[in-house]
Amino acid sequence: MKRFKPKISHLSRRTFLQATAALGGASVLGLRGAYAQEPEKPAEIIVRAWGGSWVDSLKAGVSDSFTKMTGIAVRHDLTEDNEIQPKVWAAVAQKRVPPIHINWDTTTNATKSALRGVTEDLSDLPNLANVTDLAKPAGLEGFPIVNTYGYVYVLAYRPEAFPDGPPKSWKDLLDPKFKGRLAFYNDGIGFHFPAQVAGGGKLEDIPGNMQPAWDFITKMKAQQPLLGEDPDFTTWFQNGEIDAACTISTNAREARKNGVKIEWVVPEEGAKFDTDGLWIPKGLPENELYWAKQYINHALTKEAQQVWLDGLGLPGVVPGLTPPKDLVGDPSYPTTEADFKRLIRISSKIQVENESEWFSKFKAIMQG
Amino acid sequence: MRAARTAYPLKWRIMDALEGVATAVWPARFRHATPYLMLLPAVLLVGLLVLGLIQIADASLRTLDTTTFQFSDDYSIANFRRALTEPLFLVVAQRSLVAALIVTVVTLVFAFPYAYLMVRTRSPGLRKFLLVALFLPFFIGQVVRAYGWLIILGNQGMVNEALGLVGVAPMRLIYNYPAVLFGLVQYMLPFAVLMLAPALTAIPEELEAAAGSLGANWVRTFIHVVLPLARPGFIGAGVVVLTLSLTDFAVPAILGGGSQDFIANAIYDQFFRTSDQGLGAMLALMLVALGSILVGLVFALFGAGTLAMGRSRA
Repeated sequence: MKRFKPKISHLSRRTFLQATAALGGASVLGLRGAYAQEPEKPAEIIVRAWGGSWVDSLKAGVSDSFTKMTGIAVRHDLTEDNEIQPKVWAAVAQKRVPPIHINWDTTTNATKSALRGVTEDLSDLPNLANVTDLAKPAGLEGFPIVNTYGYVYVLAYRPEAFPDGPPKSWKDLLDPKFKGRLAFYNDGIGFHFPAQVAGGGKLEDIPGNMQPAWDFITKMKAQQPLLGEDPDFTTWFQNGEIDAACTISTNAREARKNGVKIEWVVPEEGAKFDTDGLWIPKGLPENELYWAKQYINHALTKEAQQVWLDGLGLPGVVPGLTPPKDLVGDPSYPTTEADFKRLIRISSKIQVENESEWFSKFKAIMQG
Repeated sequence: MRAARTAYPLKWRIMDALEGVATAVWPARFRHATPYLMLLPAVLLVGLLVLGLIQIADASLRTLDTTTFQFSDDYSIANFRRALTEPLFLVVAQRSLVAALIVTVVTLVFAFPYAYLMVRTRSPGLRKFLLVALFLPFFIGQVVRAYGWLIILGNQGMVNEALGLVGVAPMRLIYNYPAVLFGLVQYMLPFAVLMLAPALTAIPEELEAAAGSLGANWVRTFIHVVLPLARPGFIGAGVVVLTLSLTDFAVPAILGGGSQDFIANAIYDQFFRTSDQGLGAMLALMLVALGSILVGLVFALFGAGTLAMGRSRA
C-alpha cells in the first residue's frame, strides 16, 4: 500500500530546524497556519451528497470543521449519486473539469467509476495510516475510493404491527396481513442476499445460482410491496403507509427521531452490510485536487467521523469511535466480530459485475 | 439653411443605418431566399435533435463491459435483442401503451364538455373562471401536482380521513395502476381542452341553430353536427395526450409506488441505475419509434386535425 510521502527527501540540520520551526508555528496557529505553504485555495469545493439527515450530518461533522480549518467554503451538491455519475464520466472523457470535487458515493457505484478509470488515487492521504480495514475498497488497486463507514440494510418495522414481538425472519413478512404494507428499494438493493438465504440458498452460490433469491422475491411480490428510494421509506413510515421495510438503518432512525414508533432487527438469515465512500474525479486543477484530498483526509479524523457518524448512526473506519447512546449494542451498529458474523458481505467486484442483472431480475419480478 | 430636426428624425436615421447593414449582410439579390432564412432557427433546432438522435443511435449499438464500465468499440444488436426479449421491457412497454390509450380516451371524454362550455357559454364570468381553472395547473409543475395527490389520497390523506369519519377503514388509493391513470388524466386535461377549444370555436353556432330549427334535438345535433366538425380538435388533442402519456416519467414514478413503471422509467434505470447507457439508448430509440408509428397511424387514418393548421381532411 502506498503511503503519504513527505516532501523533504533528506534531512539536513537546516531542514530539521525549518521543519521544527514550522511544526512549532503550526501548533501555535493551528492547522490554518500549517496550510500556509500549501497550494492556492479555491473559493469553495463542491461535495456531492445525499439530502436530508445525510447532508446535515456531513455538514456538521466534516464540512463545517473543514471550512473553519482552511477557510474554504464547502458547497453540497444534492444531485443523486446515480445522476452525477454519467456527468462525471462525460467530463473526464471530454477532458473537462468535472462538476464536483468530491463524490460521496456508495462503494458499489464508486467501484464502477474506479474500474472506468475516472478516480484519483488517494493512497497518499496521511490519515489512511489510522483507519481500519473497512476503509480499503476490496478488489481494487490502491485507494481510488476511501470507504468512510459501513451500514446495514435492516428489517425496520412498526412495533404495533408486530404485537407478538419483533420479526425474527424475513419470512415473517410473507404473512398476508402485511399485503401492501411492506417496502423495498426499487432495485431490490439490500434484499437480494438475505432473500437468497431466506429462499433456502447459500451465500457461496452468489452469483452463480441465485434462483432461491428470485423464488423468495417472487413470493414477496405477492405481498404487493411499495418500491422506493431512501427518502420514501422515512415518509412512508411517517404517513403510516407501511408496517415494515428493508432499508438502511439511518432512514429508520430518522423516522424515529421524527416521532414515529419504529424499531429494527437483523433477522436470522442476516442482513446486507455495505459501505459508502468518498472519491475524487480526475480532471481537477492541481490546487483543487490538493484541497479535495485534504477534505477527505479530514473526513478520516476521529473528531470528524465522530460527529458525522453520530448523525448517521453508522460505524466508521477510525478506531475508538463512541457509538451514539441509542445504538449501543444495536445490530445496525456492528463493532465486534460476533456482530459482523450476523451480517452478509459480498465483495464489491461481484456486486459491480452482476448488479445490472440483479436489478433487472428484481424489476422483472416486481413489475410483472 | 439648417434642416429642421423633425424633417429627418434620429429614429429614421437609425432605421436607415440598420437597413444599410441588413443590405450589406443580406443583399437584395438574396431576397428570394428570405423565407428560407426565417426557417433557419427551426432547422437548427430540428438539426440539433437529429444530431442527438444520431448519437443515441450510435450508443444504442454499443454494449457495456462490466469489468471496465466502458462501451464496446464494435457495433452489435445485443441491446436490441435484450430490449425485445427481456420480460421486464415487454411488461413496461405494454403497460405504457395501454395506459396511453386509456388516458387519451378518458381525457378526451372529460375535456370535450369543458371546452364546449368554455367556448359556448354566454356568461363572461363563467368563461373567465373556466379559463383560469384551465391555466392554473400550468403554473404548478407535474411533480408538485403528483405529490399533491399523495397528500390527498394517501393513507392519512384528506379522502381517507373523510372516509374515516363515516367509519370506513383507510384504504390504499395510491401506488397502483389506476392511481397512475388518474394522475395522468388530471395532468393531460388542460392540454386536451386547449387543443379542442380552437376546433370548437371554428364551428359556427348558426349550424347548431340550423340543425335545431330543422327539428334535430340536442343529442342529434351533437352527434351529427358538433362531433364531426370537432374531429380536427379531437385528433390534435388525442395525438398530444397520447404521446405525452406514452412518454411520461413522473406520474408513474410518484403515484405508482415503484411497481408501475413506464418505458421512460425503464430508460432512466438503464442510464442512471445500471450505467448501461447503450441499452437505455436502445429503449429510448424504440420509444421514439413507437410514438412516431402511433402518430403516423393517426395521421394516416384521420388526418392531422388541428395540428395541420387548417389543412386537415375533415
